[in-house]
Amino acid sequence: MHDGPGTPTSRWRHFFWDGVLPESLGLCFVIIILSGFAGTYLVAEYLWKQQVVGAQRAETEALAQTLAAALGTVAADEQETGATMLQACGTALEQWRGVHVRALRWTAPDGVLRFSWPPRVPLVAGVPTGTTPDAGAARSSVVTKADVHSRGGAAFGTLEVETTGGVAGARAFVLWNWGIAAAVTLVVFVGFYHRLRRHLRPMVAIERNLHSYASGVEQELLTLTLSESLGVPARGWNRLIEQLVDLQRRLQAAPAAGAAQNILERFESATFRRLVDRLPHGVLWVGENQCITYANAAGAAILGRPDGLVGAALAEVVDNPAVVQTAVAARARAASGLSVDHTRGSGEQESTLRFRAVALADQAGGGDVLITIEDISQLRESQRARDNFLYHVTHELRTPLTNIHAYAETLTKPGFDDEQTRKECYNVLISETQRLARLVEDILSISQMEVGTARFDVGDVDLLRLLRQMVQDNLGAADEKRIDLTLSLPPKVPKIRGDKQRLCVLLNNLIGNAIKYTREGGKVQVALEVAENCVRIGVTDTGIGIAPADQAHVFEKFYRAADDAVQAITGTGLGLALAQEVARLHGGEIHLQSELGQGSTFTVELPMPAAEHGPLAREPAEVTTR
Amino acid sequence: MSRVLVVEDDPHILRLISMWLERQGHDVREARNGLAARELLRAEPTDVLVTDVNMPGLDGLALIEAALAMGHVRRGIVVLTNRWDHGEIRDRLAQWHVHVLPKPFSPARLSELVDSLATAKDGDSPSSVVASEPRPSGSG
Repeated sequence: MHDGPGTPTSRWRHFFWDGVLPESLGLCFVIIILSGFAGTYLVAEYLWKQQVVGAQRAETEALAQTLAAALGTVAADEQETGATMLQACGTALEQWRGVHVRALRWTAPDGVLRFSWPPRVPLVAGVPTGTTPDAGAARSSVVTKADVHSRGGAAFGTLEVETTGGVAGARAFVLWNWGIAAAVTLVVFVGFYHRLRRHLRPMVAIERNLHSYASGVEQELLTLTLSESLGVPARGWNRLIEQLVDLQRRLQAAPAAGAAQNILERFESATFRRLVDRLPHGVLWVGENQCITYANAAGAAILGRPDGLVGAALAEVVDNPAVVQTAVAARARAASGLSVDHTRGSGEQESTLRFRAVALADQAGGGDVLITIEDISQLRESQRARDNFLYHVTHELRTPLTNIHAYAETLTKPGFDDEQTRKECYNVLISETQRLARLVEDILSISQMEVGTARFDVGDVDLLRLLRQMVQDNLGAADEKRIDLTLSLPPKVPKIRGDKQRLCVLLNNLIGNAIKYTREGGKVQVALEVAENCVRIGVTDTGIGIAPADQAHVFEKFYRAADDAVQAITGTGLGLALAQEVARLHGGEIHLQSELGQGSTFTVELPMPAAEHGPLAREPAEVTTR
Repeated sequence: MSRVLVVEDDPHILRLISMWLERQGHDVREARNGLAARELLRAEPTDVLVTDVNMPGLDGLALIEAALAMGHVRRGIVVLTNRWDHGEIRDRLAQWHVHVLPKPFSPARLSELVDSLATAKDGDSPSSVVASEPRPSGSG
């Protein structure tokens, strides 16, 4: 809210900020100095007068006492003689010890005036002693009284003496000296003020102009110029205004170029440049001629031009016309979010860059374009892995679902209600349902372990007992194929810390795979050995083996070798991935040695105690202990 | 009675399809993979071929190519697949005139389809009798 011109606030602002105060200072100083002089003079005069009048009074009293004593000696009988004496004294004592004897007066005890000298000057009535405030001679006169006694003690009335002293002279002296001092000071001040005012006037005018501009009263810069007569500051101010007007005119003539230049200057600043250089994304500044005028460090690195990109054409550094077209389109439409993906390289070297063009001008059709470059290869890869995972999951789920669906439908049809068919249908439904449940469980487990949300029940695990149980559970499958499944254990094995159920899954998958991929009559050997800091569990088979090209991928989810011997055997490709994930979370790992057609050995190394080494030990929130 | 060759690597599905088609009175031959099926076809033509796609050895697509080249499928071909959403498989199936039943499928629907193919008029080639685009939701 603005103050109105008549409000007290605005009046004070006007007084302090609009130049009234500086101009009033001179008058104020004059008044203050004159008042000081006047006051000092009055005090000095008063003190001076007190001193002079005190001395005058003392002299007058002394004179009165002396004359009264003398009068008492002669006037006992001869009053005329006394009067004559006073006449002579008065004449003789007109000037006595610094005071002027102005009048003498002798009054008899009966109140009759016996003598008065000089007769033309009446004694001041009613003023016994001291100075009077009146003007004229009376102001400096002192009247004192002395009783007249004879030697015998007879009273002869009262003698009054009036004197005048140097009070008037003293005032003149004080006035003269102080007057000279005041005049000199005044002259000096007037000179100083005159000079100060010459310097202050342009400042006050500039301040008044700025105030008008800030308050919106004046909007045109040229109206803020001052009269050149105000001196050097005013001329400097006027030059400044002229430069501002010129700059304003040029900016208005080319607003886009002006804005771009402004931002470019910011880019040139060291701080801003450091900031942009540390961005993980590439930043390119592209001019209207499609040439790069600025590139940050990430941009130069991504485009493989660490020596710099400035001055190069965009089409020269990016071998994709779509990128240039995107920049052109962003400029043409003044768009802020046009993007295009550019894939380069192939195989392991393939990468995908996302170019996003932002027009800097507010109006379509011109101006510079800012291009950001983001390497989205990892994003693409993770999207591809996710799609691949979903594809495999849905495929694997459809197989048991197909069986369940088909056999359930069969059960409902009238032609299939004989006992044998119904029993067969129920058996398939149960086994396929279990297969589906295992599959879902495996997918869930591996996903949770990969993202770190799986729950673990950690406790002491007796590996001897666990391995015996695992081998026992797989004996049936081994017997079906007449496979010789053996277990080799040392007499004593320390317990390890871990999740028993997860380790069961790990071992079951390895032993189950060994049996599954071993031909009839083959051998599968499970062995446990204790090393210095770990236990090693080896599962060796005489099965079909794994080709070297497939060995690097067998631990990937859903990976199954393209070999016909493998494809002929039912499997999801999740077993080894799950086993490796369990080993990893126990701080261990799985090694593979295999020869195609000869067999394979999977060796699990688990540190002792496992849970103190693996991620299980570092993820207490997801682990329950027994 | 028509002769039907069923090719499927999943033993449960193979057993179920055979059971249904035999109840309909068809002469059913079974094969667990494409290689075995091709040998059977080479030895003896069939009226209807019912085949899976994803199989070890010779997959269903290669088997169809071989069967069409031999001309040993008289009435029609039915493809069972749980990969009907795979772009490459869909494109290849679209170039032939075959029926596609996405898995999970209805055995009753399959049985009806095989019956209709088996009873088609003589002289119709497989490509003309079963001309249809594969559709995920059912038969063509």
